[in-house]
Amino acid sequence: MAIFLQLLFTGLGIGAIYALVALGFVLLIRAASVVNFAQGQFAMVGAYMLVVCLNVLGLPYLLSMAISVVLMAVFGVIFAGATYWPLRHRGGLPVIISTIGASIFLENIVLFLYGPSPEVLPGLFDSPGIQVGQVFMDSQYLSILVAATLLVVLQYFIFEKTLLGKKLQATSQDKEMASLLGIPVAAMILFTFSYSAMLGGIAGMLVAPVLFVSVGMGGLIALKAFAANIIGGYGSIPGAILGGLALGVAETMGAAYISVPYKDAFAFAMLLMFLAVRPQGLFGEKISEKA
Amino acid sequence: MILSRRSVLVGTAIAAATPLRFARGEDTIKIGGIAPITGPAAEAGKFMQNGAAMALEKINGAGGVLGKKLEWVVEDDATTNPGAVLGFSRLVSRGDCVAYTGSIRSTQVQAIAPDVLKAAKPVMFGGTNPGLTQTGNPWLFRTRPNDNYSARVIADYGVNTLKKTKWVIIHSTDAFGTGGKDALVANLSKLGITPVLVQGYSNQQTDFTPVVLAVKQANPDVVSSYFTFENDLGIFARQLRQLGVTVPWVGSPSIINTTALNLAGRALFGTYGIADFTPDASPEATAYATEYVKRYKANPDNQSTWLYDALLILANAINTAKSTDPQEIRKAILAVKGFKGTEGTYNFDEKGDGLRGYNVVKNVNGKIVFDKRIEFTD
Repeated sequence: MAIFLQLLFTGLGIGAIYALVALGFVLLIRAASVVNFAQGQFAMVGAYMLVVCLNVLGLPYLLSMAISVVLMAVFGVIFAGATYWPLRHRGGLPVIISTIGASIFLENIVLFLYGPSPEVLPGLFDSPGIQVGQVFMDSQYLSILVAATLLVVLQYFIFEKTLLGKKLQATSQDKEMASLLGIPVAAMILFTFSYSAMLGGIAGMLVAPVLFVSVGMGGLIALKAFAANIIGGYGSIPGAILGGLALGVAETMGAAYISVPYKDAFAFAMLLMFLAVRPQGLFGEKISEKA
Repeated sequence: MILSRRSVLVGTAIAAATPLRFARGEDTIKIGGIAPITGPAAEAGKFMQNGAAMALEKINGAGGVLGKKLEWVVEDDATTNPGAVLGFSRLVSRGDCVAYTGSIRSTQVQAIAPDVLKAAKPVMFGGTNPGLTQTGNPWLFRTRPNDNYSARVIADYGVNTLKKTKWVIIHSTDAFGTGGKDALVANLSKLGITPVLVQGYSNQQTDFTPVVLAVKQANPDVVSSYFTFENDLGIFARQLRQLGVTVPWVGSPSIINTTALNLAGRALFGTYGIADFTPDASPEATAYATEYVKRYKANPDNQSTWLYDALLILANAINTAKSTDPQEIRKAILAVKGFKGTEGTYNFDEKGDGLRGYNVVKNVNGKIVFDKRIEFTD
């Protein structure tokens, strides 16, 4: 039982990271019909921003995080301007290819600017964690879980309870109609890019003390996050969160109880199973062409 | 800064068009090499370039090869097998390299081996999977001791010096980790020991909790490991300590690599490592380490030394052969006896293995302390 709980805790912690990155995916799919293959690299860029603020400039932790989040928001707009804006009238595929290009570009520009040495970031808290019964709770995994929960609540609040959120939802449902109603569609889409970059960046900053900061860290997470997206339901917000958590738990349990070398296979076997049995995912609507 | 498409394109084009070279000019003798300039081992790629630069300076300072300067032309392998194959084939298709250097990663050496056979020119490499030199490929030469020796040293040290009998082996499932694991299981069995747990993992993991819990359940008195990548080793080390496993740990050379020591920090204090290169093992190693620290303000590890030795041995072989004919260079490499390098004293056998010994070191609060060197004659 102790082992099961320990695995559950770790699985949820790692799953929360997948969920945060998956959330960024979903928002862009909904707002701009863009599958952003650079979402994982957002996490990497965010983590490097934190490294620069914290290790190079020597700023305090929370201030460094705040600065990095703001920078990520700006970065999201620049990213949209470079990859989405020039291609926005050409359908989905060119933009997807352009985000793949951007993901390669981002990895290499960071490698070029920062160099190849992987970096170590301290966790949010000095203590490595707490022992609850026979379960060791890593303080950084706890931070990840708390932060993910807060962000999900915040997002729910923004999307459901504010005018901005309603405008964002309207934009994602029908851009033409939204613009007829006087909603600045372009601004809404740029905002979504910016918000999604912030989410990705935060995921990167949170996971950095666990996974270390390296140029390739984004790729590790993004593929799982994308799978989480499909499992949860393509374009569904609660789906992305639950899909991420489910994936984290499934691969951790699968590794522990069945086979460690096939850990990644469990994640993708789950994906295949969903595609075969329930292609709309946990929360997906029956896919029909958007009018 | 506004990132327009044009500026991005121009930037990419400049980056793509800038070749990495260490000496310029027409009248040079060229050695082609693949290195992880990008990908998870990009830092090791930097160390390799440092080592190569030092080797070239030494060779060219002493008159070069056949009266010309030696040049090392590097192609990125992106730390992947396809990248290695592509990089190697780009080097071969240049047509002007007289020999090559491969990878420190066994999997990648395995990947390029068929092309090495076709290229029919000597390739020096650092991967330690014992099988790499056993397949009858006459062009592969290893400048590190292979894992038959590392496994013997790990088993011997753990059983006879540390007096441990309940063994756990953690290994990567790639060519390097599997080869190391097989060799260690075989050597332990010679000493009458069957490990209580042999646990593989695939490279580039985000979490090692399942592995650590399996180790904990097996209740060993010693942990041994063959880790390929330092980030995996770092995550495992930290989680192992967090979940309360404190038994001695004897690891393959990656456990004392500069990158691993930086990433894992305290989690590796008190561990034992089997090192092909360590600064205190020989005067050559000490001299190299002193020079390296002076130049690069960082500690050297085997990621640079195997290549440093490889280039010196190649230069030596070309000068001895008085020719760049591949067969002549090959004969000259195989004739190398008593060559003192940073990794040890090279005596090549007919298979292409140059070294047969490892050092045992201990991580004492982050400082690598040399214990002893164990040489084999068979």
